[in-house]
Amino acid sequence: MSSKRASTMPAPPKPPTSLASSLTIAEHASLTGTHLITLGSNTVVHPRAKFSSAHAPITVGSNCIICERSSIGFQSEASPNERQGVVIQNDVVIEVGAVVEAKTVGEGTVIEVQAKIGKGAVLGKHCKIGPQCEIVEGETVPDFTVVYGNGMRRLDNSGVEDLKLKMVARQIEVLKRLIPSNPAKFQ
Amino acid sequence: MTSFTPYTYFLCPCTDTSTSTRNLGDSPSAESEENSDDERTFDPRAARSNYSLYPLEHLLYCEDCHQIRCPRCVLDEIVTWYCPNCLFEVPSSTVKSEGNRCTRSCFQCPICVAPLSVSSLEAPPEGLGAELASGQNGPFVLNCAYCMWSSKEIEIQFDKPNGIFAQLAKIKNGGEPIITAKDRRKDREERGKRHFSGSSAAEEYQESEAPITLDPNERLDPESQFSNLKAFYQTQMAESSPVSALGFTGDYGYGSPGALSRIMGLYTGGSFADKKSKSKSGTMREARDALEGLQIDPLSSSEAITKLSTEGWESTASCAQRHEQTTHTPFISDLRPIAYLLRTKRSKRCKTCRHILSKPESKVQTTRFRIRLVALNYIPSIIIKPLQPTLLTASTLLTPLKPVQFLLTFKNPLFDAVKVTLATPAKTPGRFPTKVTVLCPQFEVGANTDVWDEALRDNNTKSSLSGEKRRTKAEASEGQHQAEAGKVWERGRNWVSVVVEVVPPSLRIDGSEWLKSEEMKRDGEEVRDGEDVVEIPVFVRVEWEGEAGGEESGLGGGGKDKEVREKRELAYWCVLGLGKVALD
Repeated sequence: MSSKRASTMPAPPKPPTSLASSLTIAEHASLTGTHLITLGSNTVVHPRAKFSSAHAPITVGSNCIICERSSIGFQSEASPNERQGVVIQNDVVIEVGAVVEAKTVGEGTVIEVQAKIGKGAVLGKHCKIGPQCEIVEGETVPDFTVVYGNGMRRLDNSGVEDLKLKMVARQIEVLKRLIPSNPAKFQ
Repeated sequence: MTSFTPYTYFLCPCTDTSTSTRNLGDSPSAESEENSDDERTFDPRAARSNYSLYPLEHLLYCEDCHQIRCPRCVLDEIVTWYCPNCLFEVPSSTVKSEGNRCTRSCFQCPICVAPLSVSSLEAPPEGLGAELASGQNGPFVLNCAYCMWSSKEIEIQFDKPNGIFAQLAKIKNGGEPIITAKDRRKDREERGKRHFSGSSAAEEYQESEAPITLDPNERLDPESQFSNLKAFYQTQMAESSPVSALGFTGDYGYGSPGALSRIMGLYTGGSFADKKSKSKSGTMREARDALEGLQIDPLSSSEAITKLSTEGWESTASCAQRHEQTTHTPFISDLRPIAYLLRTKRSKRCKTCRHILSKPESKVQTTRFRIRLVALNYIPSIIIKPLQPTLLTASTLLTPLKPVQFLLTFKNPLFDAVKVTLATPAKTPGRFPTKVTVLCPQFEVGANTDVWDEALRDNNTKSSLSGEKRRTKAEASEGQHQAEAGKVWERGRNWVSVVVEVVPPSLRIDGSEWLKSEEMKRDGEEVRDGEDVVEIPVFVRVEWEGEAGGEESGLGGGGKDKEVREKRELAYWCVLGLGKVALD
């Protein structure tokens, strides 16, 4: 690290954060912006995950997994009814490279690799947004919806949500051991 | 649509497309009669040409016939059957008895065709001694990791994680067991017995253990309906037609003279069948209930209509989903996991001499070939490039009536030098003829020798190839962009570039009436699909001196004077797709 030239720019101001004590957040995660960023307990944030609270606050529940190069937070000015910003409920998995500008992401939802959730969209509980699928701005996706392929949709009636939640919990257990956490950097 | 990649297609000689390429309904015009002598030009736009033009990579070459072989003139033989999912080889006897689908645990999702995986519905063991627990246990489902479909949705669960195919064959959608064909046959026999010997058999039936009672109104799955119907009509045949002279009734009884006369009687209105055989043959009746294979079409039933009205469009299966299913499945809830279709490895034989042209290794995991006589190793490939490098901003379309020059690069794959002769029609056939001039129609392409051979030879004999100076890249860029007639543009170790000049046609049809040809008047006023592409038929003749006999001995180096050299010749039509003409 010492061989690298340090940036002459002054470090940008850190956003206000509220981090749970059992949070696992990698040192190379990036938290920017001016609004409050709340990260819940047992949540895992991979290196190079981007949170941007420049326009509205971000709230992430407990037991979530936020993967590399995913980008969370509004990228443009929030409208009056979007003041509470991005709210991600418990047990949500956001995969590599996904862009989430949703108002709400329901419990147990999985957002797959490079999926895009438009600004102000509302995702229901236990949804799955397939790889590279897109949800347009302001759309409401009902509970248990699976979006896959070329924008195809179906309702998942398999009823194995509890099992999936258990699998997410196990995944978090493993990731906690693998990712060195450094919450102090962001406080 | 503006982008266009030049292409070269080769005509396989297996079909002589130059004969009768007129469209149906065309009156034989004077022009076509004129063409009907030996010196015909091949028309790449003729209706039949599409079927015999192939890219060089798709063609094989028969070393015994010394001919190009296309997919239409080879015979395929199946080497192995295998499942693309588990890569297990399936013996052909199993394919014959079990069908062409994987009978292990390989399934595709009926919703999105992604592969399904088997997973347990129970959470894996946790805590102390989890490692000691013997794997996962019970009930298992198939689930799709892509669209999250699971066989739980059609209420199918399995007891074991392996042999899913056999387990699935016993369960209906909804979880009820399928009554197997064996059980049905047993039941049928029982009924038959009761029918013949009255009450005593019925008592006996009562005694037999675990009797299956079949509902005469049950909804049958298609397989058992078929087996029921088949069995029913077989008994009907046996009862109605007399036992043949040989004493057996055969599968359908068609072999027996009695049945034959009965069938003839059907066609000739009964006059053929004599009274004797008529009295013998009883009347056949139709199936009456499910036990005999009668099923009312489920779509017309009120059940289906109410389902449609309550659950709506969402509950119906899409065309693509239904296409993958083997049976009639109007609703999502009728869909079943699709067992993987087996794939084959095939060897190819020449149709005329029966020699093997291509033979893959029989092991599924290897992608190597034992024999592979591809045309790419025998025929000079042709690469098309525009001579004047077009600017990136310039449109890729050809300007009508403005001459353009293209560079054709012939690359010789053979270990002997070849002599190439090109022939093109001065004007391409079709409504919009392109004027073509090959500036150097005859040239020699060097042998495909070792890369180092050339370097060594250069020291000794500078200009070994007919005294022609090799044009270097530097010279070409110095502004020597004028192509000379009769001279090769550029030459390399085993390749030669020649220039072809093309005058693209004008696609304007609204000329004055006398300018139009007969053909134009007939075909109407529009530029049809594909007519704006400049396609040039080229007749290529390749001559070389190869070693006599089929045996190749290395790179044809040393004992040249000892071995008998044999003159070889190969001639074929090619089509060069050069570019699209701009509409003016």
